[in-house]
Amino acid sequence: MNRVKAGFLASVVLGCSAAQGGEAPLVDLTLEELARLDVATVSRKAQKLSDTPAAVTVVSSEEIRRSGARSIPEALREVPGVTVSQIGSGRWAVGVRGTDGRFSNRLLVQIDGRSVYSPLFSGVFWESLDILLEDVERIEVIRGAGASLWGANAVNGVINIVTRKATSTRGGLVSASIDDKGRPTMAARQGFDLGDAGAGRIYVKGSELSRSRSADDREDSDSNRGWSAGFRLDGAGSGEDAWSVLGNAYRRNSAEHILSSSVAGFQGLYPINFEFEGSSLQGRRNWGWLGGEASLQAYVDHQFANVGSYGRGTVDTIDVDFQHRLTPEGAHELMWGLGARYLRTEIIAASSTLNVDPARRHSRVLSAFVQDEITLVPKTWKLTLGGRFEYSSLTRFEPQPTARLMWTPSIDDSLWTSWSRAARTPSIGESDATIVYGFVAAPPRAPFPAVATLSSPGADWNRRAERLDAFELGYRRNLGSASLEAVAFYNDYRRLIGTRTDPNGLSFPGMPIPIPPYYAPSQTLFRGNFSAARSHGLELGLDLPLTSSLRLQGSYTVMDTRAKSSSDAALEAYGRTLETASPHHWGSLRAMVNAGRGHEFDLILRRTGAIGAAGVPAYTTVDLHYGWRVGPLFDLSLGIQNLLDPLHLEYVSNFFPGQPAYQPRRGYLQGVWRY
Amino acid sequence: MRQGLLRRLLRATALLVALPALAGPPSGEYQIKAAYLLNFARYVEWPAGRLPAGAPLRICLLGRDPFGGALEGLEGRQVQGREVRVRQADSLEQAADCHLVFISGSEERRMGLILRGLSERAVLTVSDIDGFVEAGGGIGLVIEEQRVRFDINQGPLMRDNLRASSQLLRLGRQVLGAERGGR
Repeated sequence: MNRVKAGFLASVVLGCSAAQGGEAPLVDLTLEELARLDVATVSRKAQKLSDTPAAVTVVSSEEIRRSGARSIPEALREVPGVTVSQIGSGRWAVGVRGTDGRFSNRLLVQIDGRSVYSPLFSGVFWESLDILLEDVERIEVIRGAGASLWGANAVNGVINIVTRKATSTRGGLVSASIDDKGRPTMAARQGFDLGDAGAGRIYVKGSELSRSRSADDREDSDSNRGWSAGFRLDGAGSGEDAWSVLGNAYRRNSAEHILSSSVAGFQGLYPINFEFEGSSLQGRRNWGWLGGEASLQAYVDHQFANVGSYGRGTVDTIDVDFQHRLTPEGAHELMWGLGARYLRTEIIAASSTLNVDPARRHSRVLSAFVQDEITLVPKTWKLTLGGRFEYSSLTRFEPQPTARLMWTPSIDDSLWTSWSRAARTPSIGESDATIVYGFVAAPPRAPFPAVATLSSPGADWNRRAERLDAFELGYRRNLGSASLEAVAFYNDYRRLIGTRTDPNGLSFPGMPIPIPPYYAPSQTLFRGNFSAARSHGLELGLDLPLTSSLRLQGSYTVMDTRAKSSSDAALEAYGRTLETASPHHWGSLRAMVNAGRGHEFDLILRRTGAIGAAGVPAYTTVDLHYGWRVGPLFDLSLGIQNLLDPLHLEYVSNFFPGQPAYQPRRGYLQGVWRY
Repeated sequence: MRQGLLRRLLRATALLVALPALAGPPSGEYQIKAAYLLNFARYVEWPAGRLPAGAPLRICLLGRDPFGGALEGLEGRQVQGREVRVRQADSLEQAADCHLVFISGSEERRMGLILRGLSERAVLTVSDIDGFVEAGGGIGLVIEEQRVRFDINQGPLMRDNLRASSQLLRLGRQVLGAERGGR
């Protein structure tokens, strides 16, 4: 008996070693036997990326589920080069290679090819992206200038959220979760068959998000609730011809407090309520054309935001995009495309603190791109040349070229270097708005109590897009199923939109105030393409599956930004803010443990350096997630966020001077039932 | 008692020896996938004009090799009384000459183009790219709960007169386009 056991163990050991060698006995196994074999370690998508001359990270649905992420930004926390800071309930500052706060205006975010970048503020209202995370197939994060392929505003990076095809979500799903304060999230999805034509699904989701706390932990500082619903239809598509139709609608209400200083010098908290509404409809078709592959996509999108009694904004978008990938011709692989976008924006300001002129704008963007992937030496050297030529009625003609060279000395190594130029169009807010920042006390003995500070576009401002020249050097290596990545970048920004003090000094009579002499003189800050900055950094990523039950992932980023200094106080302040808007370094370590029998544990440790501009000290957090596959159809999970400290600050909104919203330790319980 | 202790010690030692073997590269994932390829060749029938009796069966790889030598292990093996030849396809035309083509993950961006180029050439396409069968591929390898499984799309197989045996269809995790084929 003893000998049999020892013999069995020996054969396991030998079998394993044999499987590691070139001559695999596995080859003799039948299909049934193969389907029962456990894979020792599963390699991530990194191998597929070994062919891409760019810093790309793919967050899989499995990683999203296991991180315990309950929103898109949370799922991005462990990606190298990406900063994710919670501003408040449903409000996030997400940046790639640097951030500017709530509206990281140099980042393009797309859901299934539809841009969710708001042209009003040049940024993303993350709170409005309330999609069903269970239906997300993957999130692709492309760091660095992706403008040649993706277009304007893909300056520092592109985030592509890809949802599953309806043909692979044929069943139903009900998900319910609740946090430790009893705030619920409920979602349901139902898939259905369209017979030979394909499949579809509809979903509906409602949530009341966890709230933030005031600095003294005495009260909630904000709230956020809303619903979303949508559908997706996909053709059965046998390769030659595929089509999809997608649609969604949402409504969210959020409340926060803004810090306001009154003329009398009194500082107070004023509640402010936001309402967001939106809907979109999108269609896409892929078909074979001229021996290659063509795709045509069109969407209409409507967004509405109401900001309490301050005003409201509407954006309507119509976008058409065509792409064609040709069959490789010799060493060349060509791709080209055309795009057109029509935007109607309207901002109605209902208070004296905001004025937008013109209130309505119709803008058009026309673009064309071409890209050639040239194989210089088969399997070893590849050169990619591309360019996007974009005309926008808001700015002017912006060429955005790129050149990428990749060397793959072995199947496991890739080394690449690139130069790209990208542009960011000024937002409607930057271009047209006059905003009263607040009042500052007047010097003693002045005949008025305060001075109003306001920001407005320079009278003779010839609006130009901000321009970035980005250089990158990257290395990726697969070590069996493990992989590591190191990317160094250098960014040179020009024509950044900053403010300069009005050289004519105070203007009279200025702003009306409720106390004598009833007017306060104003100091105007003019906006223009005044500033410039440089940043450089290093991003490291590691994925290490140690055994079938333990996998480690790590990421670390260090970066530094230097803005051009100026003798003008306002422009100098803009530069200092830019330099300290992102932490200098941040990193994470994640352990994924499969305990067997459907039990899994995830531990994520994160360290983020201080963010000077937001007054946020460095912090360390630990998130824990436990998942249990109760049966083939039911998953249960339990999570604790911010295990280490009862309360910490991650960011302070710079959109409105908001009340700092502290994030408490949180727990949540979630059940997902599939049928 | 002492024997029990010895047994436990022995088992612990064996596990310790086995652990680094499990942890060390390369993982078994692609060895298993290579074994699947051989089985697919076993359970799919090509039209006689495409694969005459006794002629070698060509298994080709398109894109970067993730198999780490496991694919070469198939060279010279026998299936359906023929010899298996393995080779790397450098172009779509070369791939169209093969009987079974594994499309590597490196070709993800060109997947649609490749599938179009290989359609109606009686080539069995296999890949582990996400959404491969939905996009019109023949057999998609997927990882489910640490195990390698496969999905089959009957549509392209029937179009190209490739006959998948009932055993293959029975073991597929998901069989697409089955109803359409029946009509």
